[in-house]
Amino acid sequence: MNRQKCVALMAGVVFCGVLSVRAGAVEGAGMMLDEANQSIAAASVAVEDARAAIEKGKQLITQIPADSELLPEVKEILVAAAENWKLAVAALDGAKESAARITTASTQEIAGDYKLLATVNAGVAMSGAKVVQTGLLFVEAVAHDKTESLGIIRMAMQDALAATSQVEFNYERVKTLVAEKYSK
Amino acid sequence: MKKHLSIKVGLSTALIAMAGLVQAADMATASGVLANVATMSVQSKANLASAASSGDVAAIAEAAKRADAVDAAMADAQDAYAAMERAVAGGDTDAAASASDDLEAAQQRASDALNGAIPDAEPKSAQEAWKESQTNTGGGPNKAYDPPNIYNVPWQTQGLRSLYTSLFGSFWTASSQGGSLDDGGGDATPE
Repeated sequence: MNRQKCVALMAGVVFCGVLSVRAGAVEGAGMMLDEANQSIAAASVAVEDARAAIEKGKQLITQIPADSELLPEVKEILVAAAENWKLAVAALDGAKESAARITTASTQEIAGDYKLLATVNAGVAMSGAKVVQTGLLFVEAVAHDKTESLGIIRMAMQDALAATSQVEFNYERVKTLVAEKYSK
Repeated sequence: MKKHLSIKVGLSTALIAMAGLVQAADMATASGVLANVATMSVQSKANLASAASSGDVAAIAEAAKRADAVDAAMADAQDAYAAMERAVAGGDTDAAASASDDLEAAQQRASDALNGAIPDAEPKSAQEAWKESQTNTGGGPNKAYDPPNIYNVPWQTQGLRSLYTSLFGSFWTASSQGGSLDDGGGDATPE
């Protein structure tokens, strides 16, 4: 009888422990979701700003004279901006998808990995959107003949493209490391 | 006994596997931090372009200063990541933890710089401060002794040089070869 009581008591303790661990995990996942959502919200704002800049850019391009010496450079920048725009939109979707899986993850660790993927994806979206905005500032400067600011914007665009490639490279690295972790 | 041993081996394997997972997770987190710092760099460039577009010189200077500070933090973050990679590969957990702390600190510096909180001057490291305190002391207790420069001719100082030049100038002016020919009232040459 005593043994039965003891076993029942132990089972109760274990059950309470499991419940408290589960509650902690849920709370942790909630915090992770909040953090991921903050990154996604900031990236969403940047993407919306980039969308507005693209709309404005469509008007600005018509104002650039066809014989402008800067037209080839404008075209190059628009190509880079278009690539980054696609990337930003896809990354924002990816970030939302990863964030949605945080609360449904079976363990705290998996939830943490989804949070990491969500925040890094949001970073890719943010950097892509910022490159688009910078590129369209260049178009604006050319259209409005702001020659004095062109040099700085050109340099900022080149640096931004280089830093964006760093963001993408690290995103790929995160994806690979997380995938390796679960393939073992 | 065999069962006991197999449990021990199993536990050890599980612990090693867990350690591997933790390290992999740390490197993934570190890559995420590096991506975040690079994102801040892109943001700082976009802010610089925006300031340039406005034409406000003060705003451009401020944005350029912030962008430079973010880039400096990014360079530090990349160094810290490389150090962390080396430490993890070498199995040095202390060094990996230290590099991870450096990476976090670089991320914080980048964030501060993006928001305009840039320290005025970098504090000198203890090593630099020590080096400065040891230069040109001429010896003494706990002081480095600078050996004399044998090529330094003490009388060839600027003050003495000026004195010599001025003396020579006076001599030249006063001599029959130099100065104004009219002063002497005659030809410089004896004939």
